[in-house]
Amino acid sequence: MFQEPIQIVLADDDEDDRLFFKDAFEEIKIKTKVKFVKDGIELMNHLTENGNQLPHILFLDLNMPRKNGIECLLEIKRMNNLKNMAIAIYSTSSSSQDIEETFVQGANVYIKKPNDFNTLKRILLEVIKVDWQYQTSGLNRANYLLSL
Amino acid sequence: MGIKLKSFFASGFFLTSIFAVSLFMLLYISSISYKHTKSLTESSGLLMQSYKVQFQLEYIASMLKDAETGQRGYIITHDTLLLSPYKTAEGKIYKSYLKLKSLSDNKQQNANLDSLLQLINFRFELMAHSLNIVSAPKVDAKQLDENLLHGKNVMDKIRLLIYKMEEFELSDFQEQQKTYEHEALFSPMSTILILIFSFLVFIFSFIKIMRDLHNLKESNENLSITNESMKHAEIIGEFGISVWDLDSKELHFSDNLFRLLGCEPQSFQATVENYSNYVHPDDRHIIATGADKTLNEHKAYPRNYRIIRKDGEIRYFSSLGKFISEGNRRLHLGVGKDITDQQLNKLALEEKNRELEQSISELESFNRVASHDLQEPLRKIQTFISRFSSNEKEKMSETGKEYLSRIEFSANRMRILIDDLLLFSSTNKSEKVFEKTDLNLLLVNAQLDLAQVIDEKNAVIHSSQLPVLKVIAFQIQQLFVNLIGNALKYSKPGISPVISIDCEKLAVSDYPLFIKDTQRKFYKISISDNGMGFDQQFSEKIFILFSRLYPKTEYPGSGIGLSICKKIVENHDGFIIAEGKPDIGATFIVFLPV
Repeated sequence: MFQEPIQIVLADDDEDDRLFFKDAFEEIKIKTKVKFVKDGIELMNHLTENGNQLPHILFLDLNMPRKNGIECLLEIKRMNNLKNMAIAIYSTSSSSQDIEETFVQGANVYIKKPNDFNTLKRILLEVIKVDWQYQTSGLNRANYLLSL
Repeated sequence: MGIKLKSFFASGFFLTSIFAVSLFMLLYISSISYKHTKSLTESSGLLMQSYKVQFQLEYIASMLKDAETGQRGYIITHDTLLLSPYKTAEGKIYKSYLKLKSLSDNKQQNANLDSLLQLINFRFELMAHSLNIVSAPKVDAKQLDENLLHGKNVMDKIRLLIYKMEEFELSDFQEQQKTYEHEALFSPMSTILILIFSFLVFIFSFIKIMRDLHNLKESNENLSITNESMKHAEIIGEFGISVWDLDSKELHFSDNLFRLLGCEPQSFQATVENYSNYVHPDDRHIIATGADKTLNEHKAYPRNYRIIRKDGEIRYFSSLGKFISEGNRRLHLGVGKDITDQQLNKLALEEKNRELEQSISELESFNRVASHDLQEPLRKIQTFISRFSSNEKEKMSETGKEYLSRIEFSANRMRILIDDLLLFSSTNKSEKVFEKTDLNLLLVNAQLDLAQVIDEKNAVIHSSQLPVLKVIAFQIQQLFVNLIGNALKYSKPGISPVISIDCEKLAVSDYPLFIKDTQRKFYKISISDNGMGFDQQFSEKIFILFSRLYPKTEYPGSGIGLSICKKIVENHDGFIIAEGKPDIGATFIVFLPV
């Protein structure tokens, strides 16, 4: 599908989750380049640093130290060069409040962290296969929460 | 009109007018009596005068007659002794004339009197002439006869005049007498009438005064009862009263107000300043501005403040005021109430409330920990297990594989428990948004959620038409998922589950056991299956949290599902019952209000 590796950023403070994420992408037979940041501050620094290529898709954990996912989402959507970036919320929480708020703030998809490695692989594959630039127009509340 | 009249009778004005009328009547009676007495005196005076006049006239006539008789005797006998009446008569008659003159005040009578005098004088002249004729040496008999005849004529005239005068006097007297008699008859009559009237007025006034006095006494008694009751009411109700005259600025405190301040009744002068001395220093401004507003803006509003009693105890007070007018006086009535007990209760209640809120928020955070934070490590355990079993399983011994699958089972079970617990608590606290929803749609969604299990078990679901109701949509959907899921889970091995969902509208009176409010109508939605059923004795137990009828190894579950169902139905003001027969099936009946 892609000639160039897909640029992916995961913002998550949990080391285990970063490990699962890395392993999952290694096992998916698609060329990807994953950058990990440990919190919101680090994420925003990375995105706004000159010379860094913007990711095709950002996986954003909500519960992070220093600056949480919602704050990052708000900040990104306020910046002209970043606001069109595809954002997948990647959280343990399945509270309707979190889902509602991130949807309203313009996230593209909401992923509840699965408790099975194979499910994780299936989800990630599904997400990176979507052309978000095209998909955005058909986004609605019903298919916002990704369920596989 | 009746009320006006009544108030007129009751007024002091009425009594005043009665007394004015009575006074006027007394004056009238006095004047009548005076006039009456006066005319009586006048009348008797008049009678007296009349008699006197008659007497003098008779006397004159008699004197004249005597003189005439004497003269005649002399003419016949020439005896000079017989002439003495004639000689004295003239002086006596003149005296009588003067008396008559003084008695008479009538013009006509005076004129008569004058003519009488002339006639008498003329008569005396004639008599003197007769004596001259007789005394002459040669008596001219013819002239004497003529003279005597003339004298007789004059005498007749005199008699006539006297008679006329007596007649006049009599008629004058009779006329006076007539008027007098009329008055004498009339005045006693009117006097008696007026007296009777006055008597009645006085009796009426007396009755009225007595009645007024009685009423006054009664209302005095009532007033003192009211006063007494008020004093006791103040003590019982722990309140005191202040009355403030807005014009004279005079202030009065009731006894109990002093007592509430811990003072002897009326032990200090009632002023705002003196009262403020008992108010907590931090609250004095409340009293000051309150008094200011009462006096200047005529505004009464409730005030709460603290009092430091004479013995130093702090009490909470609440004051209420009202403007009243009593007669011409504009007053401000203040009621001060000791609300310490209520205030302390309120504070205690607020404290309890705070504690409760705190424990609720603690419970919520515990809930969050139990659901979210416990999920985190569990998810990782499960993910590691899944990685482990896919990558390392071949290298493991049989026992190792067995242990791993037991670990996996336990982790899954914990997952179910946490998920259901989360669901249960969210059923409790989530926002309850009631929206008109087609229950058929929710049922379809529930079946979609369960599609995989329905397929696996080859289940058949019959459903009849469901109503559109105001419900919390996701909760009702959850209710269907749980009940149908339950029916699928407890199906009989080897037999395809058949689940029927029926609905009918009915009045509560058909199920009087459950609801007291018999006016309402309910939808009865029953979900029955052909599964394992249960003994009816467990029909209530199965709704209790974590209660189970079957071993968890055979039928995995948290024991929370039916508790959630019960909670959801209760959220909708409805109720749920279960009917079961072992090996035949179970029916869950949900009643939702229309």
